[in-house]
Amino acid sequence: MINSNEIIDDIANKEYEFGFTTDIEMDIAPPGLNEDIIRFISAKKNEPEWLLEWRLKGFQAFKKLKFPNWQHFELPELDLQSLSYYAAPKKKKQLNSLDEVDPELLATFEKLGIPLNEQKALTGVAVDAVFDSVSVATTFKGKLKEMGVIFCSFGEAVQEYPDLVKKYLGTVVPHSDNVFAALNSAVFSDGSFVYIPKGVRCPMELSTYFRINAQNTGQFERTLIVADDNSYVSYLEGCTAPMRDENQLHAAVVEIVALDHAEVKYSTVQNWYPGDKDGKGGIYNFVTKRGICKGERSKISWTQVETGSAITWKYPSVILQGDHSEGEFYSVAVVRNKQIADTGTKIHHIGKGTRSRIISKGISAGHGDNSYRGLVSVGPRAENARNFTQCDSLLIGNQCGSHTFPYIESRNKTAMIEHEATTSKIGEDQIFYLNARGIDTEKAVALIVNGYVKEVLNQLPMEFAVEAQKLLSITLEGSVG
Amino acid sequence: MTSDIMIPFYQALTEDVTALSAPQDSLQDTRREALERFAAAGLPTLKTEAWRFTNIQRFLKEYPYEFSNTPATTTANVADEAAIAGLDSYRIVLVNGHLQASLSNLPEGKGIHIGAMSASTDAPGFSKWFNQQKHLSTESLANLNTALFADGLFIELQANVVIDKPIHLVHVYTSDRHAFVQPRHLWILHKNAAATIIESTVHPKQEAVAFANSVTEVVVLENAELWHYNVQQGAENFRNVNTTAAQQGADSRYHHFSFTLPNTPLTRNNLSVILKGSNTETNLKGLYLATGSQHVDNHTFMDHLQPNCNSNEHYKGVLLDTANAVFTGRIHVHQDAQKTNAFQQNNNMLLGDKANINSQPQLEIYADDVKCSHGFTAGQFDEEAMFYLRARGIGEESAKALLVNAFSHDVTDEIAVPALQDYIQGQIEAIMNN
Repeated sequence: MINSNEIIDDIANKEYEFGFTTDIEMDIAPPGLNEDIIRFISAKKNEPEWLLEWRLKGFQAFKKLKFPNWQHFELPELDLQSLSYYAAPKKKKQLNSLDEVDPELLATFEKLGIPLNEQKALTGVAVDAVFDSVSVATTFKGKLKEMGVIFCSFGEAVQEYPDLVKKYLGTVVPHSDNVFAALNSAVFSDGSFVYIPKGVRCPMELSTYFRINAQNTGQFERTLIVADDNSYVSYLEGCTAPMRDENQLHAAVVEIVALDHAEVKYSTVQNWYPGDKDGKGGIYNFVTKRGICKGERSKISWTQVETGSAITWKYPSVILQGDHSEGEFYSVAVVRNKQIADTGTKIHHIGKGTRSRIISKGISAGHGDNSYRGLVSVGPRAENARNFTQCDSLLIGNQCGSHTFPYIESRNKTAMIEHEATTSKIGEDQIFYLNARGIDTEKAVALIVNGYVKEVLNQLPMEFAVEAQKLLSITLEGSVG
Repeated sequence: MTSDIMIPFYQALTEDVTALSAPQDSLQDTRREALERFAAAGLPTLKTEAWRFTNIQRFLKEYPYEFSNTPATTTANVADEAAIAGLDSYRIVLVNGHLQASLSNLPEGKGIHIGAMSASTDAPGFSKWFNQQKHLSTESLANLNTALFADGLFIELQANVVIDKPIHLVHVYTSDRHAFVQPRHLWILHKNAAATIIESTVHPKQEAVAFANSVTEVVVLENAELWHYNVQQGAENFRNVNTTAAQQGADSRYHHFSFTLPNTPLTRNNLSVILKGSNTETNLKGLYLATGSQHVDNHTFMDHLQPNCNSNEHYKGVLLDTANAVFTGRIHVHQDAQKTNAFQQNNNMLLGDKANINSQPQLEIYADDVKCSHGFTAGQFDEEAMFYLRARGIGEESAKALLVNAFSHDVTDEIAVPALQDYIQGQIEAIMNN
């Protein structure tokens, strides 16, 4: 018989085992996933009790959930117990000049047209006085603060704006949503928090690039964006530069809440390490992204350019709850070598007069496998809902695959839903036309591909779009001929 | 055994298989294997991807069905209910899958073998083609059919045989007790053969409910052509799961039409076409007009294995009242199937306040030199078209009937038998005017 005193003793001893004072010095937690590690992470980050409880709930959900088996690829075996779930942000090795940087990386930067100083910042070369990213960031921060915009790391937000975080955390992606989201809820390291107050139009694109402390947010990132009534924000994630990372599994969560008349635009350019020619060692990018248009006439728009990662597996979604709200999804996914992408979107039409638009462009080359998987559902209350979906696929080479798995569910007779998908290859006549005008085949393909994805790239902020365009050409280099 | 209704089910089955397999020794092993596969997989549940929106178990639990394999007979009056005005045809009547020769008029001639399945097991085509399509053995209800079928229609047309008139195949389902029937057909068209087959269903108005789980295997060999129409006239006391598994040889043409009309509470059409030769043409056309709380599920699969093939799929649906429709269309283009053209369309008109549609048009493509597309729409009457007609003095009901008829045109226009075309258009008008 165990009496209650013993249980209390037990718990007391356990906490002692991982005493806060001693462990706080540690940089890396021992590998393994258990409740103690979660308590440890939470303590390290000095989190309030409710957040720890929420993390533990996430862990309970994670234990119950199973790994899915419906995806169009074989899920590699993930040994989640061998990972370390906490590492203090590491300082990058400072290099003295660009000469010390991998020349291949520099060549890529050159093609992307990234300014010299940015190149230095990205590769970890000490930055000179002319380009001081810190001071740029501080100027921006000051301006944002003046307007009442909150843009900080998740950890900071938990300390400084606990009420806001508590109010919205997990309201869009619940802690038990799916196995990766549950894992993220339990062990998320850090991420970003954005709050745009009522009536504020955020004066600049918010980008993780300008956020100090943003580096090395780790493999379990969590982003929460709240746009209050009549506000607007455009948020950029990622960058076109190739990103190397020692963590193979990335299970991030992004939640967006848009209140009355608010608009949120979220753009992603993802270029994680795709692995070698046989797909070995690449990143698994398993992200749960979801936004809710809570208020009437609100709008959420996702734009993504996915060129990296060994496996990209995500469905940025929009729940159109507010009447006359609007959701958009624009995507370009490129796979080559042995890369796999299983991506698309889910749009739930709940409110009256809700509208959605989905444009997905897939490009497969080499042995790549590209799937569009999407859901458009129209509920019985969604009078006059409107959806337009177009997903096109381009195949380059006869070893690749391209697939479309849309799900369409309509429960309202006034809804108008249109879906179309096409698959084709680059026309030989198009290549011939360009060849005849002195453009070599490689450049011709780049030109045709850029024309093909234009509709999506047009949605990106200008500088980003230019870089993304170059990125596509580089990604497809060597896949023709 | 994955569900509670499986156990009594399975017991009944094993007894039936033993009883059935005695006179047909050659199939005993095939039946037993199929039954084992069925028992291992169980009945589909809502978690089975292919049955996500069709709760087959609910329909099977509705009545205490009995496996009925004893031959039944019907009268000429009943068979005449399926008559299509002005159709000059060879009529063949099957009662619960059993050929009733007295009411049938079989085409005769050199190279034509048409008869009961049970009497055709020795035919050369039977052993070669029966149950040879691999994916049939992965489908639970097809396995059940293989294990349990009593009879059906066997057709084998030797090379160069062309049947001069359409064959009108009338399926009559009749039983004084709730019956679960398993008809099984095998049709083989050898090189250069051609035929038109029109299927109709009749279920006499009576209290007992019939649940048909039928499987038709179609083999269209080199340069042969088959026009296959399936007219599913509905009846309140009829449930229908209909599996058609076709395969095509080089240069062959296969045209499949299905027309699902009101009343039958459950219709599930599984249609698969495997292209085993190049330069083929395939047309899959469907029209479903559902009323009441009807559930219509069309599940199609186009398998492009060979280069230079064309396939064209077009399913159109009109959903009234609280009707429920499901469409799944999968096109699979294998790596060798270069120069494939594969098109698919699913258009729906939701006219009932609580009507709903679930659609999954899917493309799975592993070859690069292809042209493939799919499209889906769900909508209502075009207000402008409606206004145009009303402004010209056409009543609302007639205008609706006219617009639905126009909407169905993409399918009805392709019907190559004029009498059948008139019949289907007449049915649409009658339904819309009701």
